[in-house]
Amino acid sequence: MSEELKYAIGNLKKRKLRTFLSVISITIGITSIFAIVSFGLGLQSYVNEIAAEAGVDKLFIQSKGIGAPGTDLTFSLSKEDINFIDKIKGVNQITGVYAQAGEIEHNKQKRFVFIMGIDTKQLDFIDESFTATVEKGRHLKKGDIDKVALGYNYQLNDKIFKKKINIGDKVNINSNKFEVIGFYEELGNPQDDSNIYLTRESFEEIYPDIEDKFGFLMIRADKNVKTADLSEKITEKFRKHKDQKKGEETFFVQTFEDALKTFGDVLNVLNGVLFLIALISLIVATVNIMNTMFTAVMERTTEIGIMKSIGAKNSTILKIFMFESGIIGLIGGVTGITIGFIIASIGGNAAAASGFSLLKPIFPFSLIFGCLLFALITGIIAGYLPSRKASNLKPVDALRYE
Amino acid sequence: MILDYIGLAFNNLRRRRLRSWLTLIGIIIGIAAVISLIGLGEGLRVAITSQFGLLGNDVLSVRASGIDFAGPPGTNTPNPLSDTLYKKLENINGIEAAFNRDLETVLMKFNDKEKTVIIASSPEGKNRKLFEKMLNLKTVEGRLLKDNDKKKVLIGYNFGNKDNFGRSISSGSKVEINGITFEVVGRLEKKGSFIIDNNVITNEKDILESLDKDDGTANIIAVKVKDVDKINIVKKNIEKILRKERNVKKGEENFIVQSPVNAIESLNSTLFAIQLFITIIATISLLVGGIGIMNTMYTSVLERTKEIGIMKALGAKNSEIFKIFFIESGFLGLVGGSLGLIIGLILAFGFAFIGRTFLGSQLIQAQVTLTVIIGSMLFSFILGIIFGVLPAIQASKLIPVDSLRKAK
Repeated sequence: MSEELKYAIGNLKKRKLRTFLSVISITIGITSIFAIVSFGLGLQSYVNEIAAEAGVDKLFIQSKGIGAPGTDLTFSLSKEDINFIDKIKGVNQITGVYAQAGEIEHNKQKRFVFIMGIDTKQLDFIDESFTATVEKGRHLKKGDIDKVALGYNYQLNDKIFKKKINIGDKVNINSNKFEVIGFYEELGNPQDDSNIYLTRESFEEIYPDIEDKFGFLMIRADKNVKTADLSEKITEKFRKHKDQKKGEETFFVQTFEDALKTFGDVLNVLNGVLFLIALISLIVATVNIMNTMFTAVMERTTEIGIMKSIGAKNSTILKIFMFESGIIGLIGGVTGITIGFIIASIGGNAAAASGFSLLKPIFPFSLIFGCLLFALITGIIAGYLPSRKASNLKPVDALRYE
Repeated sequence: MILDYIGLAFNNLRRRRLRSWLTLIGIIIGIAAVISLIGLGEGLRVAITSQFGLLGNDVLSVRASGIDFAGPPGTNTPNPLSDTLYKKLENINGIEAAFNRDLETVLMKFNDKEKTVIIASSPEGKNRKLFEKMLNLKTVEGRLLKDNDKKKVLIGYNFGNKDNFGRSISSGSKVEINGITFEVVGRLEKKGSFIIDNNVITNEKDILESLDKDDGTANIIAVKVKDVDKINIVKKNIEKILRKERNVKKGEENFIVQSPVNAIESLNSTLFAIQLFITIIATISLLVGGIGIMNTMYTSVLERTKEIGIMKALGAKNSEIFKIFFIESGFLGLVGGSLGLIIGLILAFGFAFIGRTFLGSQLIQAQVTLTVIIGSMLFSFILGIIFGVLPAIQASKLIPVDSLRKAK
């Protein structure tokens, strides 16, 4: 360890209270930044995970309307539309999904949720696109009438209904009796985890008006076909087929990639705003350290004069004070990361307990290292001006100073 | 007496100017951040909630339960209201009028461009005047709808913008809605509400017949009560009748009777939670600023140990020494708070101005209430005091002999 470093640590120890208070300021700043960024990274990896699971070879088509996907049936998509699109070159697989708001009743409690009607012949494709499959019980199968698969949250007490639902239980959906055959795995947000899934045939039975009016279509592109290109091709051909002009389509085609990207972008903006707000506290901490260091320089003016008069170079003095503020930053960084880790973990558990398991913080090495570096740099920046002032003192003036 | 203390505090702060400024900067940044964030957040909240506040407080809306966030109210529901239900409500005591409102998503075409818009129904006959009064409908050009209008629409203010369809729509223009030609009879005044300003209104008969939506259901039943004070009794009576009509038990209602106030409340609480979260994060910087005050005050106690010793030797009481330092730190908080307030106000209104001019968004506005101003001043003063207490106690407890000996 160099002489300068030893001397700097000795000085910090001498004024313990003040060092402690400066460390606290930077600890608070790093804590909030660490916690916020760990959640942001967690959300990002959640999005990436979905992208990896669902694959990048998917597109979906939706009719234009207002509200949740597929629930506004002013313009709808029909089986005839599906057949047409299926024939477009590059389309590997296509399926139509019914989606409507409906009422589910269990133990005399009623809830309004989304009901999906899915094609049992294409279960694998659908599960892959939803990134979820039935985890408990069995999946829907061909010919299932009056059978329902429920979202994850239905098997928990006090989530959707007071009492959890078990496999084999009977529930009323829009006043029709259904038997529960299975539960989907957890998707991580309360809305998707409360969806319920029927076969297309059951769906058409309870919504006779909606027969052949699909909420959205999901498409898998052929291997080696770019989804963006296919999206354009489908838009053009389908537009001509429906006899609509460019820009006046009653439908839109979106690649899965784009949809996720939009979602990811929104998350990044939100996270960035929070990060900036948290950064404010770090700026204040910088000012605090600067203050402490200026005070230290003033207090030790005579000392600096003596060191200089017996031959200390400007650069040595500069180093001593920069080391001091750098150490304050570093210690603040270490404690900040520790506390931030604890707070984020507790927050993540609390979020998971209330159904938002997608809000899960992650702590990659780069985050820890980045925060540490950030704290160190903050300390060094805060110490620069005071240190320069100290190193530029003239020995004679410094010795004369009272 | 108190003035002496303040004078003393002020002089001491001035003597070590650099350190006082640096301490102040911490508080200034913190308060400025909190004020501007609260100001902009509050502005956003007011802007959003005012969209719903146009209906007045003597109106109730009745709709079937469904998933609320999934679209226009009353459109996503498994068992919609029957379109004859309003007649039963009309006869309830205390109700002045009840009428159906239909909301439909349609394709509107003009200038060879097509867009999805929401078309809403206007009641006819005796309820028309009431409806127009409720929404305070006035036109900037043309006229309002009349009973024997057929295939005529009233358009919201924003359709006068070129951006919507490449050309502004005005009264006399012909538009195509779901392929049927309608004539625009008038354009409404600007309401500052993105709901009404982007709406198309037509006669109920047109929605039912021309647009072929006569399916025996109604999206919303609007109810106007005679006496605002009895709105809760009327609400209960409506619920009783609807339970009977729709054959459901108490506690299992599949419909919602709501006053605009209820609707705003639930939205408000969400917005409030977001605002609170952001404010808490911003407040962390104030905490750091407070620690800065504490640091500065400890330093100044240390520096002035000799001075304190002399004062005590001359007969200064512990409480007097405490007051000197206490007032000094409170002063730091208060000055920092005031400057922070000014900067925060400039930031909030500056951002709002930039947002309005360059983004043209009505939602970005600043709203700083007197409570926030007084609250933040008080907060920064209290912050100074709290973080000054420990150093001040330390100063007051110094033993004169020791402090005289200890100081160089």
